[in-house]
Amino acid sequence: MDISAPVSGKYFDGNSARQHGVQVYKDTRHGTAVLVIQPDTGAEVIWPIAELREVTEQARDEGIVLRLGQDGIARLIVPHGAAEDTIRAIAPDLGQVRVSRSKIRQLVLWIGGAVASVVLIMVVILPALANQLATMIPVEREQALGRTALGQISSFLGGDLAEMTCSNPAGLKALEKMTERMVGDTAIPYDLKVNVFNHKMINAFAVPGGQVVLFKGLIDAARTPEEVAGVLGHEVGHVVHRDPTRLMLRSAGSVGILGMVFGDFAGGALALVLTEQLISAKYSQEAEADADVFAHDLLAETGLPANSFAQFFVALREKHGDSEGFMSHLASHPNLQGRAEAARAADVIGEGPYTPVLNAAEWADLRKICD
Amino acid sequence: MSSAASNDPYSRLTAPDSDGTPPTDPPMDIEYRGTQGPLFKLGLKTALLTLVTLGIYRFWAKTRVRKYFWSATAPGGDPLEYTGNGLEKLLGFLIAVAFLAIYLGLFQLVLIFAGLSLFSGSENGQDTALQIAASQVTLVAVVPFIFYAQYRARRYILSRTRWRGVRFGVEPAAWGYVWRAMGHWLLTVLSLGLLLPRQTFWLEKYKIDRTWYGTARFTQNGRWQDLYPAMKHYFIAAALILVPSLVAAMTEQPIWLVFLFLGAIWLYYAFAYYSVVSFRILGGAKQLGGKVFFTTEPRAAKVFWTYILGGLLASTCAGLVFSAFFIIASNLLGTSQMLAIEDMAEFKGFDQLGVAEFIGFFMIFMGYILMLVLYGVFGMIFIKQPVLEHYVQETRIVNPAALDEIEQRSRDEMVEAEGFADALDVGAAI
Repeated sequence: MDISAPVSGKYFDGNSARQHGVQVYKDTRHGTAVLVIQPDTGAEVIWPIAELREVTEQARDEGIVLRLGQDGIARLIVPHGAAEDTIRAIAPDLGQVRVSRSKIRQLVLWIGGAVASVVLIMVVILPALANQLATMIPVEREQALGRTALGQISSFLGGDLAEMTCSNPAGLKALEKMTERMVGDTAIPYDLKVNVFNHKMINAFAVPGGQVVLFKGLIDAARTPEEVAGVLGHEVGHVVHRDPTRLMLRSAGSVGILGMVFGDFAGGALALVLTEQLISAKYSQEAEADADVFAHDLLAETGLPANSFAQFFVALREKHGDSEGFMSHLASHPNLQGRAEAARAADVIGEGPYTPVLNAAEWADLRKICD
Repeated sequence: MSSAASNDPYSRLTAPDSDGTPPTDPPMDIEYRGTQGPLFKLGLKTALLTLVTLGIYRFWAKTRVRKYFWSATAPGGDPLEYTGNGLEKLLGFLIAVAFLAIYLGLFQLVLIFAGLSLFSGSENGQDTALQIAASQVTLVAVVPFIFYAQYRARRYILSRTRWRGVRFGVEPAAWGYVWRAMGHWLLTVLSLGLLLPRQTFWLEKYKIDRTWYGTARFTQNGRWQDLYPAMKHYFIAAALILVPSLVAAMTEQPIWLVFLFLGAIWLYYAFAYYSVVSFRILGGAKQLGGKVFFTTEPRAAKVFWTYILGGLLASTCAGLVFSAFFIIASNLLGTSQMLAIEDMAEFKGFDQLGVAEFIGFFMIFMGYILMLVLYGVFGMIFIKQPVLEHYVQETRIVNPAALDEIEQRSRDEMVEAEGFADALDVGAAI
C-alpha cells in the first residue's frame, strides 16, 4: 500500500490552535510530486514532496511529524504505517538542516566580539588594574595576608609554622648579614623578613607583605654563599615589585571570567584550571624574569658575581632537567638554561676578585641554621 | 523546584477550579509519555559530546533534552514542540560574554580587593563582620543581572515553545521585573520570610500577566494572602528550631539542641511543600484569554520523596561506576601508599611514575569525570522526569473548547536567546 489512496492524519495550520483531521495522499500537480492535505472542512493544502522536512527528537512515537521547509509553521502528523514508510522513501530531504549565511556572519562577528572582550579584560585591563590596586592595599593587610599564606604553606608541607622555621642564632646572624649586603640601600615598601624553612625542597618564595622564605634544601644544594645570595636577591625582587599581591589580584579577576566562558559541565573545571595556569604562567614567567634582572642588579651593585647565580641554575638543571615544549608554557618559571645564560651575561665580576658575601665560618653557620 | 516550575511552560497550563463560567466540555488531561530508556541514552550521548567538545556542545545538548521533555508533554494528546536551536544559544552566549566579560572581571577584582583591604588575619569578630558586609555589598552588583537574565531566559524559552502549531510568548519587560524582584526580596528578608507569599504572588503575577499563548493572554487571579496555607510547614520547622533553642538557653541544657536536627530536616520538607502547594494555589487561579481555566493537584509528599529517593538512586548508580574505576586503578597502583601521601616531599612528581601508575591515576580521573556526567544523567531520569511527569499528569485544562479560537502570534526574534542566563549560570532547570 502507498499513499496514492488517502490516509488520515492530524494537521495544525499554524494560524490557529484548532486541530484538523485530514486525508493525505500523493499526487502530481504542475509536474511536481506533492502531498495533498485535504482537511475535513476547508480548502486543500499542497506540500511539494521535495520540501518536506521531518520534526525530529520526538519523545512521543505516534508517527512522523512533518513541516514544509525549514521554517514552516504548519505541522502534519501521519501515523506509523505504510504511508509513513512511503513518505520516508520518496521525500529526498527529510533531515536537511540549512544554516543561513547571515547566521554564520553573525556568529563569526560575535565570536570576534567575545574573544576581543575577553582578551581586552584579561590581558590589558586586569593586569594594569591589579598593578595599581596592589599599591593601594594597606601594608599591614598584606602582612596579615602573608602570615596566613605562610601558615597554609607550612601546614601543606606537613609541619607547624613555628616548628618549621629555623632558629639557630649563629645561622640567623649569617642570614641577616647576607640580607643586609644584598639589600644595601634599595628602597623596599615593606619591613623585609627573611626566614629559612626546614624542608628538603630546593626552592624559595615570597608571600605578600615582604616575607621571604628559603628552604633548607636550597642552602644544602648551593655550593657557595653567593648562589644563595642570588636566589635571595631574586625573592627580594618579587617583594619590591609586589608580585605576590599583584598576581593574586589578577588571577582573582580572571577566574570569574573563565568560569563564565567554560560553564559548569563536568570537565569544565579542568579546562578552567588549565587555561588559568597557562595565563598565570605567562605573567609569572614575566615576573620571574624581572626578579632575575633585579637580582643581577643587586649582585652587581654589591660587587658579587652573577656567575655563581648562573652556576646554581646549571646545577639544578643537571639534577632535575628542564621543562621543554608544551610543558614550558605551563611552568610558572622560565626554563633554567635561559635563566643561567641571562645571569652569566649580566655578570660584571668575571674572574676578578670580590669580597665574599659570607666568610667560611659564617657560611658554615648558615648551613647549620636548622640545627 | 520552584525555579523549575516557574521556568517551564507547562506550569502555565496548570491550575485550579474555575471561578467563572461552568465548563461546557470535560476538562482536557495532559499526558506525559517520556520514558527512562530513550532519555537516558539522549542524556548520556549529549553529556559525553559536551565533555569531548570542552563544553561547546552544551548548547545543543540543552536543546535536544528540551525537545525531548517538551514533546513528551501532550495536552489533549497533542505534544508541545520546542523550536529553539543550539546555534542561536551559542550566539546569545557569545553576545553575553562580550558584554559581561569586562563587567564581571572588574567586579571580581574589586570584590577581592575590598576583601583584602579589610583582611587582618586576626579572628576578631568585628573584622569578619566587616569582610562579610563588604562581599555582600559587592554581590548586590550582580543581582540585577541575575533577575534580568532569568526573565529573559523565560521569555526565550516560551517564545520557542509551540502547541498545536501556535507559539507562546512573553512581553519584553525584564527591567521592570528586576526592580520588583529586588524590592520583594528585600521585603521578604526584612520580614524574616513572613512576606514570602507576597513576593511569590506578585512576581508570578508580573510574569503571568505578560505571558501569551497565541493571541490569548494569561492572567493570574487571586490574592497573595491565599498562599499562606503553603507556608504551614515553614512555621512548623521554625517552631522546631526556635523552641528547643530557647529551652536550651533558659535551662542551660544543651541536650535540647538535638531537636534542631529534626527542625533542619523539616525545613527541607517545608521547602518542597511551599513550592508544590503555592504552585497548586497559583495554578488554580490562572486563566487564559478569560475563557480557559486550569486545575492542578501535585502532591508535596510525592515531589519530596522523588527528590530524596531519586537523589539517592542517582548518586548510588554514579558512585558504583566510580568505585569500579577506582578498584581497577588501585590494582594498577599496587599498594595504596600513593594515594595517602602525607608529606609532599615523598611525592616525586609525575615524571617519576611508572606506566601502570600513570594509567591508574588516569583511570581515577576518568572515573571521577564519568561519575559527574552520570550523576547528571541519572538525576534527569530519576528526579527531573518523574517530577515533571507528576506535575503534568496532575494538571487539567478546563473548557478546552475555547482554545480553538486562539490564533497565531508573531515570532519573537531574541537574537541574544538565553545567553545572559547561560553566562551567569542561572538558566532554567531544564
